[in-house]
Amino acid sequence: MARSTSKDAQALFQSLRSAYTATPTTLKIIDLYVIYAVFTALIQVAYMAIVGSFPFNSFLSGVLSCIGTAVLAVCLRIQVNKENKEFKDLAPERAFADFVLCNLVLHLVIINFLG
Amino acid sequence: MSKSLVVFTLITLLPFLCYAFSPENPTDRKVLVLLDDFAIKSSHSLFFKSLQSRGFHFDFKLADDPKIALQRYGRYFYDALILFAPTIERFGGSVDSAAILDFVDSGHDLILAADSNASELIREIATECGVDFDEDPAAVVIDHTSYTVSETEGDHTLIASDDLIKSDVIVGSQKIEAPVLFQGIGHTLNPANTLVLKALSASPSAYSANPKSKLSSPPQLTGSAISLVSVIQARNSARILISGSLSLFSNRFFKSGVQKAGSPTKYDKSGNEQFSVELSKWVFHERGHLKAVNVKHHKVGETDEPAMYRINDELEYLVEIYEWSGKAWEPYVADDVQVQFYMMSPYVLKTLSTNNKGLYHTAFKVPDVYGVFQFKVEYQKLGYTTLSLSKQIPVRPFRHNEYERFIPTAYPYYGSAFSMMAGFFIFTIVHLYNK
Amino acid sequence: MARNLVPFLVLLFWISICQAASIFQPISDSHRYAALELFRPTDGVFGSLEETYEVLRTFDILGIQEKPDINAATCKSVSEVLGSSAALKDLFYALNVNGVLKCEIKEEIYESITSRLRTVLNDARSLSEFYYSIGSLLLLKEQSSGVDLSLMDADGIFQSIKALSQSDGRWRYSSNNPESSTYAAGLALEALAGVVSLASSDIDQNMIGTVKNDILKLFDSIEKYDDGALYFEEKVVDAYEHHGPLATTSSVVRGLTAFTAVTSGSLNLPGDTIFGLAKFFLGIGVPGDAKDLFNQIDSLACLDTNRVSIPLILSLPATVLSLTKEDQLKVRVNTVLGSVAPRLTVKIVRAFLSGSKDTSVIEGEELKFDTQTSLHILEAFPKTFDVGNYVFVFEIILHDSEQMDIYATGGRIRVPIYVSGVVKIENAEIAVLDSDLGSIETQKKLDLVGESVVSLSANHLQKLRLLFQLATPQGHGFKPHQAFLKLRHESGVEHIFVVEGSGKQFEIILDFLGLVEKFFYLSGRYDIQLTVGDAVMENSFIRAIGHIDLDLPEAPEKAPRPPLQPVDPYTRYGPKAEISHIFRAPEKRPPKELSLTFLGLTFLPFLGFLIGLLRLGVNLKNFPTSTVPATFAFLFHLSIAAVILLYMFFWLKLDLFTTLKALGILGVFLVFVGHRTLSHLASTSAKLKSA
Repeated sequence: MARSTSKDAQALFQSLRSAYTATPTTLKIIDLYVIYAVFTALIQVAYMAIVGSFPFNSFLSGVLSCIGTAVLAVCLRIQVNKENKEFKDLAPERAFADFVLCNLVLHLVIINFLG
Repeated sequence: MSKSLVVFTLITLLPFLCYAFSPENPTDRKVLVLLDDFAIKSSHSLFFKSLQSRGFHFDFKLADDPKIALQRYGRYFYDALILFAPTIERFGGSVDSAAILDFVDSGHDLILAADSNASELIREIATECGVDFDEDPAAVVIDHTSYTVSETEGDHTLIASDDLIKSDVIVGSQKIEAPVLFQGIGHTLNPANTLVLKALSASPSAYSANPKSKLSSPPQLTGSAISLVSVIQARNSARILISGSLSLFSNRFFKSGVQKAGSPTKYDKSGNEQFSVELSKWVFHERGHLKAVNVKHHKVGETDEPAMYRINDELEYLVEIYEWSGKAWEPYVADDVQVQFYMMSPYVLKTLSTNNKGLYHTAFKVPDVYGVFQFKVEYQKLGYTTLSLSKQIPVRPFRHNEYERFIPTAYPYYGSAFSMMAGFFIFTIVHLYNK
Repeated sequence: MARNLVPFLVLLFWISICQAASIFQPISDSHRYAALELFRPTDGVFGSLEETYEVLRTFDILGIQEKPDINAATCKSVSEVLGSSAALKDLFYALNVNGVLKCEIKEEIYESITSRLRTVLNDARSLSEFYYSIGSLLLLKEQSSGVDLSLMDADGIFQSIKALSQSDGRWRYSSNNPESSTYAAGLALEALAGVVSLASSDIDQNMIGTVKNDILKLFDSIEKYDDGALYFEEKVVDAYEHHGPLATTSSVVRGLTAFTAVTSGSLNLPGDTIFGLAKFFLGIGVPGDAKDLFNQIDSLACLDTNRVSIPLILSLPATVLSLTKEDQLKVRVNTVLGSVAPRLTVKIVRAFLSGSKDTSVIEGEELKFDTQTSLHILEAFPKTFDVGNYVFVFEIILHDSEQMDIYATGGRIRVPIYVSGVVKIENAEIAVLDSDLGSIETQKKLDLVGESVVSLSANHLQKLRLLFQLATPQGHGFKPHQAFLKLRHESGVEHIFVVEGSGKQFEIILDFLGLVEKFFYLSGRYDIQLTVGDAVMENSFIRAIGHIDLDLPEAPEKAPRPPLQPVDPYTRYGPKAEISHIFRAPEKRPPKELSLTFLGLTFLPFLGFLIGLLRLGVNLKNFPTSTVPATFAFLFHLSIAAVILLYMFFWLKLDLFTTLKALGILGVFLVFVGHRTLSHLASTSAKLKSA
């Protein structure tokens, strides 16, 4: 039984991988950006777990900057993805403009809270 | 001619006006002495002379003189009262026990002497002041182990006491070597009363009883609980001296020698004169009268007094304390004046250090609790007037921009924020122009 | 000069303290010392002439030789006053002073004064005019030799003075003034006496008789103290000049003695009057006021030589005698001024214990006179004489019976005398008994002379018994005035009991069962203290006997609380312990290296991102080629970078308001440029799609 499950997992993994390579580069860039943001957040959480949450405002600020920008990137990916029927009428540039403005506001808030 | 006379009279009156009792000038000047017999003026002349030589003006009157009055329409004629009338049943004029208590309540001093035939009125006044004389009117203080060796007094009612209060400010800094002669009635102090002090106590074998009759039940007053001379410092700094013996102040006792029973030392002069004179100096505010002025506080490094402090500020507190010496305000030197930083309970209590010229100062850090605090100086020392100063000051927490910034612990967070911003910038470029 | 007398006096006479209530001490050296103290000259004079006269007269009476030297200055002022037309009063006192100092005054002055005085006397209306003028004339009679001073109209003057008298024996100062005073009576009597002695012919005896009646009426108003002293007092306080009892009585005494000295016949005054007056003056002791001292000494001098009766004062140098020291009873009899009395014997009529009047211990014993010390001494007490409070009744018997009219002995004089001695205390023991049975649980002997202490314990069902025996030197039982047993709890609550006794045995039993409530149910250690004392017991003592541990039951809820004990005043005040605020501990911070490590770690994903981008093979092919769009695109990214740099400065230095202002400007620019760039990109991609 175990062998069949590991064989199934491998087969699943392979199919996922091949499907992913089919995605356009733009989206891959966004994915990479999101992964980068999440990793940065994880490192900060690990640090907080070690030393405690002393400048809590700085911790929140750092983590939220990563998470916030990740969320905005995910929104951008959804809106820019051509296979997404919902956002067919939305110009990708428009989505990008929203992304940029939201990020700038996010970073203003982050810097204010950073201390 | 008449004009210059008027001017001259006014000028001569000026010193009297200047020397009138006032908080700035607390030594009493005009004293009313009520006697029940003018012979007391002569038999106690040494005591009165010693006071007069220090600048007091006396008005001797009989206690039942119908013209005596302490005050009229709220204005007091005298600064102090000496009651050497132990047998008086009723005062004359407008004086009665309520008037005397009002006199004391308004901040004036009183010396009261009772004797073995003290009247109800005198006992009542003493009770109102805080001491209780023996209820038995025939009782006097008897002591069979601490009496004065005498060839003419055999009933041991003339006692020699050397149990004085240990306070240099009340009995003077010079030790009174010889015992003090006392013949009269004893009193006790209510233990709940914190304002009364025993200036001269009886020995443990003393008791208050009628020497002519046998004792069937134990006497009410015995031992060291009997006070022979007490002093009271009221909360408004009025001082009262109550003595159970009028002859303690008499010329006879001042001049006589004394030998205490059981002691081989014979003193040529009793301690009465020194004791009475020193006590009178204390009662009339020539010693132990303090005033505190110029309370100041400021942040270390500044000179202005701020309206509010912030937690963890360093501040300095200054106060000037002076003692009245009978003629002028002298700097007060002590090492136990303390200031409290108080809000419901003292958060900080520090002893003030002095520059020996009357200025007391200390510095401390404001606690990290915020609220409305008070600088409290509650100085109570045996024999000195109470100093009670209080100054309110609020303490605020940090403002939003007074917190610590650029903390090393938070470097990773700063780094991540900026790295995200950099990443965002790169991303915008790459995202737009990638094909 | 005066200083030489002082140490001598201090050495010899400065031990005595005061006189007993019914014993009056005659004038002694303490008065002389006081006189020197009180009368001190300033700048060679004693103040006014009146004061100078008082000083000189006092020194004269007391026999003080060491007078300060004021002769020169005083004589000068005396002659000035006598030469000028000074006031009558000054003249009177100047003559008085002259009488003592005997200054050199010329006869002419005396004559002029005499004629002036005669004129004044003829027109005199008020009492003080009469008094001063007659007094001056009397003094002139002694001082000058040549002048004729006899009064012609003595009767008339006598009448005018008499006319001012009142029915109650007092005198008015003048006919205008209705107030009468006793002091004025004294002055009037002196003036009348002066008139009688200056009269050229005898005064009508009837008038003298009426004056004597006036004196008797005056003496009806005499006041009396409890100890037998008699004095006069002014009734009206507000009178012309208020004089206290001493001044008033002195004035009356002067007047009385002067009047009786010049008139013959006797005055029917009650026998004790002179004695009572002497007691009043002696009872003052040593006055502290100069004028009072003068009045006292002057009056006593008048009494000492008066013609009614001269008082003899019986005094005892010691009324407390000790059997252990074998003191002898000594009695002294003097005149009021302390000078030697005539030959007499002092007899003890009877002596008895003050409690039992009926049984006399001594009866009818005469004292032996010791010529060296001038004291009357009782050689020895009877063999059975014991300690106690005695009352001795003395009587003075004059040797010369003729002198009985001249001297007043004071009758029977009662003197309380304390005879003290050592009271033996023995057989003292303390025991704890079981309540009902009475059996002894613990019993210990007490040594009340030594220092040993006992330690006992008891519970509330037991009793404490203390007993001891007291015996006088003669072996009789003795009941001391003070016999207290005191139990003091550790908390300070005290309980006192009187130890009752009969005969020699003294016993107290404390039944703790009954005392539980009185003791406020306080268990614990109680210190036991025994105090035994009496006025005649030389070895009165207060002894801490030991302690007892009492076990009492628990207090019920409603039991009374023990009384508050006084707080020791020395510990009540005092500086308090210092308090310094403990600040909240700052957060524990990790070592800097850890933070720096993680700072580095944070940049790793960024690097990963960059590497990932390169791996994906990104390119910038879509960058606009033509100039304008390219510029806009460039500016777009530049402005994004500028905003980010602004944020960096905001974090480092700027505050929010400045940043927002700058952001507003940059934002507008960014939006404009971005719009252009993105619309260009959008149109480019649309073209591509359509193509």
